[in-house]
Amino acid sequence: MTETNEGMDAEQGDFLSREVVVSNEHGLHARPAGKLAQRAQGFTARIRIVHDEHEVDAKSILEVLTLAAGPGDVLEIRAMGDDAAQAVEALERLFHKRFDE
Amino acid sequence: MADKILTGIPVATGIAIGKAFFINRNHKAHLPRHTVAASQMDEETGRLHDAFAAVETELSAIREQVPAELKDYGLLIDTHILMLKDPKLAGVADEYIKTLGLNAAWALEKAVSDQEIAFGAVHDPYIRERMQDVRVVADKVQAKLIGRETDLSAISGRAIIMAHDLTPADTVEIQVSKIMGFATVRGGKTSHTGIMARSLGIPALVGVDMLEDFVHDGDLVVIDGLTGKIVVNPTESELEDYNERAAFFEDYTRKIKRGCQLPAETFDGSRVQVLANIELVEEVASALDNGGEGVGLYRTEYANLNRTDLPSEDELAEKYIDLAAILSPRKVVFRTLDLGADKFISAFGELNETNPAMGLRAIRFCLRNPQLFKTQLRAILRASAYGNVSLMFPMISGVKEVRQAKAWLAQAKAELRREGVEYNPDMPVGIMIELPSAVMIAEFLAHEVDFFSIGTNDLIQYSIGVDRTNHHVSYLYQPLHPATLRTIKLVVDAAHQAGIEVSLCGEVASDPFCVPILLGMGIDSLSLTPQAIPGIKRIIRQTNMHDCRKLLRKVLECRTVSRINGLVMDNIFKYFPDEVTFFSSLLENDEAPS
Repeated sequence: MTETNEGMDAEQGDFLSREVVVSNEHGLHARPAGKLAQRAQGFTARIRIVHDEHEVDAKSILEVLTLAAGPGDVLEIRAMGDDAAQAVEALERLFHKRFDE
Repeated sequence: MADKILTGIPVATGIAIGKAFFINRNHKAHLPRHTVAASQMDEETGRLHDAFAAVETELSAIREQVPAELKDYGLLIDTHILMLKDPKLAGVADEYIKTLGLNAAWALEKAVSDQEIAFGAVHDPYIRERMQDVRVVADKVQAKLIGRETDLSAISGRAIIMAHDLTPADTVEIQVSKIMGFATVRGGKTSHTGIMARSLGIPALVGVDMLEDFVHDGDLVVIDGLTGKIVVNPTESELEDYNERAAFFEDYTRKIKRGCQLPAETFDGSRVQVLANIELVEEVASALDNGGEGVGLYRTEYANLNRTDLPSEDELAEKYIDLAAILSPRKVVFRTLDLGADKFISAFGELNETNPAMGLRAIRFCLRNPQLFKTQLRAILRASAYGNVSLMFPMISGVKEVRQAKAWLAQAKAELRREGVEYNPDMPVGIMIELPSAVMIAEFLAHEVDFFSIGTNDLIQYSIGVDRTNHHVSYLYQPLHPATLRTIKLVVDAAHQAGIEVSLCGEVASDPFCVPILLGMGIDSLSLTPQAIPGIKRIIRQTNMHDCRKLLRKVLECRTVSRINGLVMDNIFKYFPDEVTFFSSLLENDEAPS
């Protein structure tokens, strides 16, 4: 079971956080990025993806693409809002299933 | 006389008559740029959102119609829809209207520029290329905003799509049921346009110079995919001629298609194998549907084109295994990478050769880049476990090259054996005979390999010394040149002397005038574009070996191309009058243009 952390961000307030590893052969290219954004759009929570010093909106396919996360990269999902817990769960599952590729 | 007759490279046969419909895509150059007053900002943001919503509705509707077998296209449209909904485009453009007072189309262009910067900073070339999709999406919205949209849904029946170039994205969105043909300025024999058109069974020409200058929206045009001509605004009588020709051709195609699954066997019982040339797994359906008995030439370059990185072994193996599995137990011959000359891999950059046709290409390129070569060999070997896979090396010039290539193959096999990966240790290995040097030492080469495949396109080019894409000299490119025929015969004889099979996979294999001569030589198999298979099988079934050998003997005595043309014409005329009607243009390039 992956550990869920609770954190506090000066700008964003309380958030749930979980680390995931990109295990797709080609990293987060168009299709996985699309699936990620599409799934994220189903939640009202604010969801951010953090990769090194980059932090982007998980609901934007363009932002997720420009993260250019490659295979093996470790990302952090941060969510805040009513359905933050479900959102983190759902997105983590996507990563585990390698976006069904 | 018609207004204008243009010529191009036919990439899909047939004759179509219809209205020209241009697809114009990039609006950046003539985008209206002005500011809007504060009082009109709401209206302007409203226009922006309406345009986005309208494009999204259109794309969603198209998405629904994408057939399951075009899954990749469907996923591409999904990506486009997600981009349309992305706050980074619509949201940022909205901000630019409100804060800078820009008009909607300009504001969107600025949002696109922001994305260009963001994508430009990405190192992964594959992701960087997705910027093209952002552009496609933005172009659509801008077209709506400035009222210059090429409303593809407005295509009424009998449209002929004209474009500078067609992308996979375009071809998805065109309502294919209404399209009669394609013509583009760019693109070569293997372009996406050709693949698309062939799968739809409609004619297409690429490489049509001046297309945009001489053809206008709504012009009546005839596309002749048999001769490579575009007739712009034909006269009544020309139109009548073409209508008749088109109807005849349709009848003819239907007639030959009916018998295409029958074996390619002559009257007197000689059996020839007729196989397909393909470059995408998707083409297998058409290959088998047209009566192909397997794949005699699988061009493997496609996986390397239109991308800047290199495909991994797993990626290739997956594709290759798919192909072997779909075709099994029918055979499939993989040609190792034939890159260089006109096809480059961006990962290696252009080579800047003054004479690329004679430069570092095909097997030479692979031997120079063994890592790339071995990756492919391993992937092919993995597919060979299905038992129906053969492999051949292109552009072999001498014995040493074959041995070098085979040494890499042996090494790849040894690695797989150590790793416990399954493969066929007896996979047949052949070479392409495309260079005059290989012809002259065919008897030696025959002892090194299991089969020959004659690639006549390059062989004719190298033996006559003519670039057939150069219109100053292309008239010299003659399949029926006495030297060409002697060359092919030398190779066939050398192969049979050594007890190996010989196949022919150039365009000559789909030329109804040449096939009887090839049969006379005793060629074992022909490999050709799927669409041409029914016609060639029909010719084989309606001829007999005795006549073919007689024809060959007579032809070999001729000293000029025109004498040979006369002979084959008589022969074809006697047995196959239909073919004369449709393919006689193949024989027209006899004389130098005056």
